[in-house]
Amino acid sequence: MRKMRLILSLALCAAAWGGEKDSFLLRNATIHPVSGPAIQNASLLVIDGKIAEIGPKVAPRGKVKVIDARGLHVYPGLIDSGSPVGLAEIASIRETVDTGEIGDFNPQLRALIAINPSSEHIPVVRANGITTVLVTPGTTGGARGSTSGGLIAGQASLVHLDGWTWEEMEIRRGAAMQMTWPVIQTGRGGGPDLEGLIPGLAPRRVTFAEARRNQQMQVQKIQDFFDAARRYQKAKAAGEAIAPDLRYEAMIPVLDGRLPLMITAAREREIREALEFAARERVRVVLAGVRRPGKTLDEIAKRNIPVVLGTPFVTPLEEDDAYDEPFTLAAQLHKAGVKFCFASFNVQFARNLPFQAGQAAAFGLPYDEALKSVTLNAAEIWGVADQYGSIDKGKYADLIVTDGDPLEIRTQIRMMFIKGVPVDLESKHTRLYRRYMARP
Amino acid sequence: MRKNLFAAFLAALAALFVAWLPAPADSVTWTAIRDARIVTVSGPVIEKGTVLIRNGVIAAVGAQVDVPASAWVIDGSGLTVYPGLIDALSSWGLPQAAQAQQQAAARGAQPPQQPLQPQQPQQPQQQPQTRSWGPQDRPGTLSWVRAADQVQPSDPRLGQARNAGFTTAVVFPRQGIVAGHGAVVNLGGKTAGEMVVTPDAGLYLALRPSGYTGFPSTPMGIMAYFRQLWLDAEHYRQALALYASDPVNYPRPAYDRAVEGILGAKRVLLPAEGPVQMERMLKLAADLKTPAVLYGVVRGYEMAQRLKEAGTPAILNVRWPARDRDADPEQEESYRELLIRDLAPTSPAALSAAGVRWAVSSEGMDTPRAVLRALKQSIDRGLKREDALRALTLNAAEIFGVADRLGSIERGKIANLVVATGDLFDDSTRVRMVFIDGVRYLPEPELPTPPAGAPGRGPTSEEGEEQ
Repeated sequence: MRKMRLILSLALCAAAWGGEKDSFLLRNATIHPVSGPAIQNASLLVIDGKIAEIGPKVAPRGKVKVIDARGLHVYPGLIDSGSPVGLAEIASIRETVDTGEIGDFNPQLRALIAINPSSEHIPVVRANGITTVLVTPGTTGGARGSTSGGLIAGQASLVHLDGWTWEEMEIRRGAAMQMTWPVIQTGRGGGPDLEGLIPGLAPRRVTFAEARRNQQMQVQKIQDFFDAARRYQKAKAAGEAIAPDLRYEAMIPVLDGRLPLMITAAREREIREALEFAARERVRVVLAGVRRPGKTLDEIAKRNIPVVLGTPFVTPLEEDDAYDEPFTLAAQLHKAGVKFCFASFNVQFARNLPFQAGQAAAFGLPYDEALKSVTLNAAEIWGVADQYGSIDKGKYADLIVTDGDPLEIRTQIRMMFIKGVPVDLESKHTRLYRRYMARP
Repeated sequence: MRKNLFAAFLAALAALFVAWLPAPADSVTWTAIRDARIVTVSGPVIEKGTVLIRNGVIAAVGAQVDVPASAWVIDGSGLTVYPGLIDALSSWGLPQAAQAQQQAAARGAQPPQQPLQPQQPQQPQQQPQTRSWGPQDRPGTLSWVRAADQVQPSDPRLGQARNAGFTTAVVFPRQGIVAGHGAVVNLGGKTAGEMVVTPDAGLYLALRPSGYTGFPSTPMGIMAYFRQLWLDAEHYRQALALYASDPVNYPRPAYDRAVEGILGAKRVLLPAEGPVQMERMLKLAADLKTPAVLYGVVRGYEMAQRLKEAGTPAILNVRWPARDRDADPEQEESYRELLIRDLAPTSPAALSAAGVRWAVSSEGMDTPRAVLRALKQSIDRGLKREDALRALTLNAAEIFGVADRLGSIERGKIANLVVATGDLFDDSTRVRMVFIDGVRYLPEPELPTPPAGAPGRGPTSEEGEEQ
């Protein structure tokens, strides 16, 4: 209810001052710019959606509305570096799931175009302070292998979680090329076989040699595709007549090193192979869904390869791993000097993104790094740090106003601004909450 | 002297490779093994003595034995005589999967699976099975099947087993979850009937879920079904008795071969790989009011004390767990797995130390000789040789109630003997001959061992996927 009142008052303020919709002055708040230390009792002036001034005393310019944020905290909007939000509504209803296309190679597809701006999930994700999402096609991340959406599923798009149309949501339509490194799948391992329970449902057992051959064939497919794209690129550069092919066309920015290749690889072997591949092809690479980097960690650090971590709220991959292995992974990466950000790789639970970073902070990751991993680091990794990711003069005003630390579960998000425009924090959850609270 | 005799013998039998002494119907045939080291198992070792066999039965054993003049005498000097080895849970001498399945074609029978017999080819399902919906459909129940009725003297595996010193196997049918009655079978004989020592060694139960093809598809359902089946059997027995005493007032119970088979069971064989399964099975056996023998035991080292308290014998699976032959080289093995792998071979010593009666199964072993090699590993890990030998002989005979006829070298027992060049568990030892029912068998050429591609993890439950 208090939230409601705030928003209401905000609207009233706007009406009273009659100023621009994307300009305001926020007063008496603790500002956490992320790029620097927190500033107590400060004011923040936003003009035309951009941060104009930060400081202890800022004079209002013209007729901008003034918001008193006494006792509240201002943070940059959080960035989820991988989620199919907007592409999938209800997992079990096929018609509402648009995450991927059929086929091994679909680099020409952009996630942005398939996003449903009216998805019920979007306000829910916003409710925890997430303003920005890298919408990833074709995969739900993690160690799923290549079965969920081909080898190259398409281009991930960085979007704001607000807009009437997908065009309005766009930050960068091609932010990364989404790829999954093939996994050697023998259909064994996993849990203990409970006395050979349910033989009918057991996956067909494949010998290791056979599984490795299958995997090598997939890797070869990737290589062949890159080679073909490379030929296309050269022919085009040389001005030769060549049949246009959207797939190869879409690969040119990857081959040029302009567009990062986001490779999902969970375990050491896949990571090693992906890194070797990236070095051979001289492409920019971002590793995603890393779970057990093992000995590759040093190389990831040495080559400054950014990493997108999935949720730590999972069980360890190996039986003998420490129970907190998923919790401490981020700290381990930080210690090795790897830059990383967090992704939910999920629709319904994308809202838990801040708590992923919070969990990492509780298990050894310095707090500032945890906060960066869902703000500035993500903006840097996706190449938008000049405009997003921190509260700095000249950057867009993607802000959240909270009553505390956003990585803390009990914290409430009181206001959200995307490009300086206040965003509704109502969601299906708050509607249901009110509905059932009102029950006599 | 032995050479002369043997030459004459060969001539008489027109160069038959496997030789036996034809016994005329009314005459008494004597055979004596003289001056051999005799390991009786039931008593002390006789360093130099004689075993006298009369018509297939041990007539005398000792340092000083009077040998009749008509006896065929074998010079045993430098040789050691053991009781014939017993494989306590086997498929030797039983038809291979295909035939067994035809016999298993029964109402509600489980999909045929032979998961414990890697030597046998995978067979596609013979016919569509009707789905079972509950205990009344008697799912996977073949309790009327007797292994004794399926014995095949022509099985080539018999010769291989004899080569390793095995003279007896306890064989069980394996279809379904109530698979039928096992038989104690001698591994040589002219007819199947001659081979069978006893046709009711016990009822073989398996905990093999149907895989969603019908009730029961969970271990829980299977165990509930076993309980119901035994209750039904008891009810059936009482109904029969009432009908017999008063046919006017009591209805004639409908004949039910499934429970008929249960009523005849002297003991049940229950699967228990480790302690958890053991506890379940001990409880089940108590509920069934039938003596139990646990089979498929791998983690015996954790079960010894409890088995001793329960007085339940165990049949060890001596295919010691090993790393998958085609495992992913980067796959880390769990501590739990490594621990089981390390400690499984210590199970025999642990069971012996606790005083548990245990025997050994050839299940999953590539060759019969591998059973001895596996036990040698246990001997290296602290098992006493005499305990190992006892497990392979007298223990097995005791477990299956045939210790009055098998398992040791004593007067009156069936003359199943192994004559070897030294200690059975030494790699350099060769089996010179075995006697089964007093008939001598010489070593046969070894069959080629199965290819190394056989599944490395023991029991699998694939159904025939290849043609």
